[in-house]
Amino acid sequence: MTTLPDSAYGSQANVSARREQRRQAPNPIMAIGRGFTWFAVLLCLAPMPLLLVVATTANWPLGFWAGGFTLGWLREGWATVHPYALFSLRLALTVLAIDLAVGLPAAWLIARHAFPGRQALLALINVPLAVPGIAIALALILAYPLARASGLLLIAGQVVYTLPFLVATLAPALAQPALIEREAVARTLGASAMQRLLYITLPAIRSALLAALILVFTLSMGEFNVSFFLFTPLNKTLPIELYSAYITNRVEVAAAITLIFLAFVVPAAIAIERLGGSKIGQA
Amino acid sequence: MSSLAMPVLILLSLALIAPLVILLRQSLTGEGGQLTLANYAALVTSPAYRRALLNSVLIAVSSTALALALCLPVAIYIERSVSRYRNALAVALTIPLSLPGIVIGFFVILLFGLTGIVPQIFLLITGERQFNFAYTFWGMLLGYLYFQIPRAVLVLRGAVSALSQDVIDVSRTLGATPWRVYLDVILPALSPALLNAASVSLATAFGAFGTAATLSRGFRVLPLEIASLFTESFQVERAAGLSIALTCLTVAVLFGLGRAGERAQR
Repeated sequence: MTTLPDSAYGSQANVSARREQRRQAPNPIMAIGRGFTWFAVLLCLAPMPLLLVVATTANWPLGFWAGGFTLGWLREGWATVHPYALFSLRLALTVLAIDLAVGLPAAWLIARHAFPGRQALLALINVPLAVPGIAIALALILAYPLARASGLLLIAGQVVYTLPFLVATLAPALAQPALIEREAVARTLGASAMQRLLYITLPAIRSALLAALILVFTLSMGEFNVSFFLFTPLNKTLPIELYSAYITNRVEVAAAITLIFLAFVVPAAIAIERLGGSKIGQA
Repeated sequence: MSSLAMPVLILLSLALIAPLVILLRQSLTGEGGQLTLANYAALVTSPAYRRALLNSVLIAVSSTALALALCLPVAIYIERSVSRYRNALAVALTIPLSLPGIVIGFFVILLFGLTGIVPQIFLLITGERQFNFAYTFWGMLLGYLYFQIPRAVLVLRGAVSALSQDVIDVSRTLGATPWRVYLDVILPALSPALLNAASVSLATAFGAFGTAATLSRGFRVLPLEIASLFTESFQVERAAGLSIALTCLTVAVLFGLGRAGERAQR
């Protein structure tokens, strides 16, 4: 058996001693932190299992699974909302395509070039972060009263609202020095601009790109404040339908519809977090 | 290069700048089409709008204070702990970011509505419904807190990860009580981040519409007044005035606290 130098044992012993110390004398700051953290997590997550219980209870106002367990509300909920869910999906994909076509070049410019007006461009893109959603919607409807029926305003409002998030996720990825260097090498080796984009740039930013796409998709699927003024009976999104369920429908159906909505949104949210792209939107 | 900026410039001038300019012009227009500041003055002269403005400030400030007090220890714990649940806790606290305000409002109803779980449990135990406060100020406060928690945690976590653990350890070793460590070490070091988190939370709260629309039964905030002016009484100019005022309030908070945060950093 080979012997390790004493220092190796020493540092090992140090670490375990420190761990031991931490276990014996719990740091009150961490203890407070742990208590508050579990409270916050409980508050954030408790509604989700509750949603499941209410949505599968035949008669919730009488208590837990009063009248028995049922999938009827979920079936009824899906029958009510599936046209709106499909509309929201289509809308989110449209918004995504426009965001990408407009935002990718803008993110590129902001990441790669120091031009006069760069700060101004960035500030302009970020304006919707400071303007309440209903103000954006009201402004759009006053500017283009006739376009509301076509659904164009709904698309425009959501594009404007989601664009800052796309650009803020993509620009740092595009600004990596290593990526810029590799593109330069490829250019000197004779790669065309299209080849560089397809084989160097896009693969290098793929996780940021994926995070940005999922983020825009989630924001669009859940958008309510901008959409509330801009929807029409023919262009009605899932959150608008959710809202009318909350106001008018029975609590079990509302819970079932919310559950269906969360099935679209929560997996996406977890994926964004794993890709390191959490961003702060409106509520 | 300028051709790359073209799409975004065209899109934003048509879908953002022009509409906001028109909104501003409408807000300065009186009923007869004359130039007026009456739509802004209404915030002071009309009791209903003054109440809504005060309510907006009241709920934004109190929910932000609660969110900061709750989330500072949370951010420290998540960044510093060696617990194996750390990542799961962090993910759990970002999930509410993707929930629209209306869903958050419904969560409050599920917890504290008339048939919410807490009143139901009290009904079982004591025979009387208790804590069914979803549709009051307290229910709205809980909803606002719910959407501010992930935002505050995200901003504060970034700052805590940049804070040196040695400073905390040294002051603990030197015999400082946790309370003193918070007051004298952690708070000053994190004050730029706290200001930043406060500005994000306040701005989100001022603009919040979905949560208020789902929960409000009488506690009116500005976004609700704007919505009912537009959809119910169709007083477009008044709605435009309140919208611009709300936007200015939000921008002032974002810039003012942002500037204060920069100064605290130096």
